[in-house]
Amino acid sequence: MPQLRKDLIVGRWVIIATERARRPAAFVDPVSSDTDPQNCPFCQDRTSTIVHESGGVKVVKSNNPILDKAQAFERRGHGLYDVCYSYGSHEIVVETQQHVANMADLSLEQIQRVLQAYALRMQELGKDPFIEYILAYKNYGVAAGSRNIGHSRSQIMAVPVLPMRVKDKINGAKRYFEFHERCLFCDMIAQEHQSAQRVVVENEHFIAFTPFASRFPFETWILPKTHHCDFAEGIKGREGSLAGILKDVLLRFKIGLNDPAYNYIIQTAPAKNSSMFKEDYHWHIELIPRLTRVAGFERGTGFYICPIPPEMTATFLREVEV
Amino acid sequence: MPELRRDPIMGRWVIIDSEHLKGPSDFPKEDNTPTRQAICPFCPGRESQTPAESDAIRPQGAQTNISGWLVRTVPNKFPVLISEGLLQKEGIGIYDQMNGIGAHEVLIENPDHDKILTDLTHDEMRLVVSQYQSRFRQLSQDSRFKYVVIFKNFGSSAGATVEHTHSQIIALPMVPKAVLEELRGAEHYHQYRGRCVFCDMIAQEYQDKERIVAENAAFIAFCPFVPRYAFETWIMPKSHSADFALIDETAQGQLAQILQDVLKRMKKVLGNPSYNYYLHMAPIGYANPACYHWHIEIIPKLTRSVGFEWGTGLHIVPTFPQEAARFLREA
Repeated sequence: MPQLRKDLIVGRWVIIATERARRPAAFVDPVSSDTDPQNCPFCQDRTSTIVHESGGVKVVKSNNPILDKAQAFERRGHGLYDVCYSYGSHEIVVETQQHVANMADLSLEQIQRVLQAYALRMQELGKDPFIEYILAYKNYGVAAGSRNIGHSRSQIMAVPVLPMRVKDKINGAKRYFEFHERCLFCDMIAQEHQSAQRVVVENEHFIAFTPFASRFPFETWILPKTHHCDFAEGIKGREGSLAGILKDVLLRFKIGLNDPAYNYIIQTAPAKNSSMFKEDYHWHIELIPRLTRVAGFERGTGFYICPIPPEMTATFLREVEV
Repeated sequence: MPELRRDPIMGRWVIIDSEHLKGPSDFPKEDNTPTRQAICPFCPGRESQTPAESDAIRPQGAQTNISGWLVRTVPNKFPVLISEGLLQKEGIGIYDQMNGIGAHEVLIENPDHDKILTDLTHDEMRLVVSQYQSRFRQLSQDSRFKYVVIFKNFGSSAGATVEHTHSQIIALPMVPKAVLEELRGAEHYHQYRGRCVFCDMIAQEYQDKERIVAENAAFIAFCPFVPRYAFETWIMPKSHSADFALIDETAQGQLAQILQDVLKRMKKVLGNPSYNYYLHMAPIGYANPACYHWHIEIIPKLTRSVGFEWGTGLHIVPTFPQEAARFLREA
């Protein structure tokens, strides 16, 4: 019997298929391939504006930005619609000077420097009063929306509006806090520890588990065990520990699923008025290997069909030898 | 200058990426022409390979579950939800769960394996729409269900696994989140302005004109001002209508005409792309029909959504809707 499970944060129902559940091995789908450093824009690049550089990690302004600050921020109406001129920043985090494709293969120290770069840029970009949200994320592999260049990198985008899904999460967490006077994410961690079935790996400061109402097969979240709403503030002194668990999870994807395309995204509190989110929001990272396609049903309803129970994917990932 | 636009229904912002604009020829081309498959279970003569039909259109008095049908609906052989049993809800620690009760059907649109939806004659297309309505009415009778979604995946990159032309129907024991958000947005708008937000959108489209793709007596097709995807197109009844189950035969014919017209335009402009469409309808027994307006959303599958989009719900659209509409209108 398939199950319907509700995401506690945003109230989204998902279908966990059991009748036609696929074995973990059925998802193995290698996509990445080595490419020539001679043609790599991140090995050769000498033109981009560098905004941060430290220990081989370089943050540059995108040469092809989706958002920039060329024009002053302005909101207007168009009939019944709301419009604002695009305003914001789009930066590329070149994670290493070496031509290495997958972040899983970087050293712990290097990953730690990448995380520090995220934190520094988030704090810097957040000073702009028009910026509402800063998003650090990674697309790895063509199926995850990346160009196949073979050089490990991630992106930071600063936007002048609160995106819908972020708003949803924040509101969901607020509602839970109003009723229980406890953080929803802290409660999730307690629940995951209790049932233990969905925990992939943990260390002193962080836990990685496959969420109860996963949307995608092998979806994995990393949460700090100590409550904090803000990524940049929250990782202070714990960068090494976070680098450790991030590398561990990425290696489990790489080895267990044969180097799949994946995305990760850091979900932190909004850039403005962060004191408003202090108690009820809890920053975290969502990681999703790109193994299935989103079809009409998901697009039309926001209702996901996950073809394998998260308990099964957690067991599989836990047993991968890293 | 890139623009951020906010959808008046959901409150969703999108970025129109005007710095990297794409026209029809900038998207990768796909070949979605049907190939002769040796053993297609949807072809006439293989009725025994599918579960027994739940509905079909065939000449009066003809026997069921043999060939001779014009449109045929069968339960999905690999359903995501199971229709037998009672709904059971439970809590697992802090989480909520229920058993997967629902219906999952396949609607085979035409017996001819070589035809895709745009190849059907007008009369054949009418039968598809009529079968949509009859399945929708039938499934709405089941008191365990709260929502019925009719949708189509065409082409493998839009999620189709069988090439014989078909749609799918899923009946759910709850209203899905995206629909709930749309309803809440529409109710909120109605409370504030006392008008239907979809009717207002149509008025706005007539005023601006540039995003209209096609229209006929009962329906209008346009590229919404705030799309999530390039060449996204919506079809709406021109006069307020909350319930798809109530449209009459004339309107069914008009819907068949405009739906096929838009798909033909997309095929011509974008080279037979993969696409999804789905009918957005009010939940079964919806109490505020003045607020909601059923419609069809058609999304050609031209780009991949990346980490940024699924993480934030902030879509980056590489084509202005008025440009997409112009290409489709002139096709």
